[in-house]
Amino acid sequence: MKKTLYVFSSGELSRKDNTLFFETEEGRRFIPVEDTGEIMIFGELTVNKKLLEFLSIKEIVLHFFNYHGYYMGSFYPREHLNSGFMTLRQAEHYLDEERRLIIAKEFVRGAARNIRQVLKYYHGREKDVARQLNAIENLIAPIDECKDISTLMALEGNIRDHYYHAFDEIVGNPDFIFQERTRRPPKNYLNTLISFGNSLMYTICLSEIYKTHLDPRIGYLHSTNFRRFTLNLDLAEIFKPIIVDRLIFSLLGKKMITKESFDRVTEGIMMKEKARKCFVENLDEKLKTTIKHRDIGRPVSYRRLIRLELYKMEKHLMGEKEYQAFVARW
Amino acid sequence: MNAREINVSGTLVWYYYICPREVWLIGHQITADQDDANVSLGRFIQDYTYPRERKELAVGQSKMDVFRVTDEGLVIGEVKKSSKFKSSARMQLAFYLSELKQRGIEARGELRFPKEKRKEEVMLNEQTERELDKVCREILRILYLPAPPEPKKISFCRKCAYAEFCWS
Repeated sequence: MKKTLYVFSSGELSRKDNTLFFETEEGRRFIPVEDTGEIMIFGELTVNKKLLEFLSIKEIVLHFFNYHGYYMGSFYPREHLNSGFMTLRQAEHYLDEERRLIIAKEFVRGAARNIRQVLKYYHGREKDVARQLNAIENLIAPIDECKDISTLMALEGNIRDHYYHAFDEIVGNPDFIFQERTRRPPKNYLNTLISFGNSLMYTICLSEIYKTHLDPRIGYLHSTNFRRFTLNLDLAEIFKPIIVDRLIFSLLGKKMITKESFDRVTEGIMMKEKARKCFVENLDEKLKTTIKHRDIGRPVSYRRLIRLELYKMEKHLMGEKEYQAFVARW
Repeated sequence: MNAREINVSGTLVWYYYICPREVWLIGHQITADQDDANVSLGRFIQDYTYPRERKELAVGQSKMDVFRVTDEGLVIGEVKKSSKFKSSARMQLAFYLSELKQRGIEARGELRFPKEKRKEEVMLNEQTERELDKVCREILRILYLPAPPEPKKISFCRKCAYAEFCWS
């Protein structure tokens, strides 16, 4: 599988002959282009049009993060996989409120079930999360009854509230109290980690969408406004609990990230570069971990699971097989 | 799908003999996973073998891998990774020959297996032409189905770039 290139240092990325060349003050190196799937940029990077052209040919997506580690935007090369058939189906399912709701519900259901799975694990390890687990279990059935997207969104927010309230008990570290979910800027360390992890998840989902015939601008749970990418936000809901949140718990549990990993700046709280690297490396490791897939009969990595969700979406849109979100069994 | 889009191509003939579901998917531009190792290998073989011969002759919907003009006429070649699906490859090439014939060009066909350093001649005869005619009609029938034929587990699935799509 192609690799994700994470760039933390500052320098110039360019095309050199038929490959990538990265030059910094510390040194220069060639990056095999055929082996690169996507590039995540955290440092100060100089690029030119020739490079973008090359990346476009090689179908490589560039994701930019700003100085504070927040997602800025992506260079999403022109679509290389076109299926008019699929695009029409995707739009059709968006425009028809009933059909849209069916898909949106499955995203929420999948997210809720994965959240339940995470809580169950900690419940089994004698963490006092029974109340939240119970509350969430009681909110899963009502997903079916939602008559419109806004009710569904409200229910989803409700589930998430209960879930986040379990974080303090799971983490059990006074430095990392949850308080409330805050974004732009996150108001405490834990929220900073969640935001960072989530934005990485969104870009990974976006990169996977790029490899399918789906249009990232047409999401079902998150409203489309034909400008912003939204399908990746939908898709990320399913994987955030089992990939990002679990990673955060493990990094904090192993003290790989502590309060010393952050800087307080005027704009809020910032992760230090070392902490970001640590997060990213461990996320990458997790995404490469494989599990045995029952029906495919090949080992499948976590990252691949994301792609499989998209394939299932495509089959749903084609009217072939109803979409059922991935739910972790462990 | 509008009528203009519907066209049988050589690739579809090749897939017809392997898996009808693939015919439908490719026909709807739902291409297989391009990251798949076998797909990359195929692309590599296509790009880097036979550097001295002219590549890609486009006729109608078909793209022929290599071609050369000899004293005896035009020779077209289809390059394959292995000879495992030889009979499908023969029909694919026969389809190209018949497309050329319809345009008044008599040509010879050659199957190429560069990894095995082998080639094989393919000629058009009445029997193949009859079979092609039948296959083309069958392909059109599949393409007009509202949904793809259901996935069936066959030995090809193991190495197929659609496997994860079909079995997810």
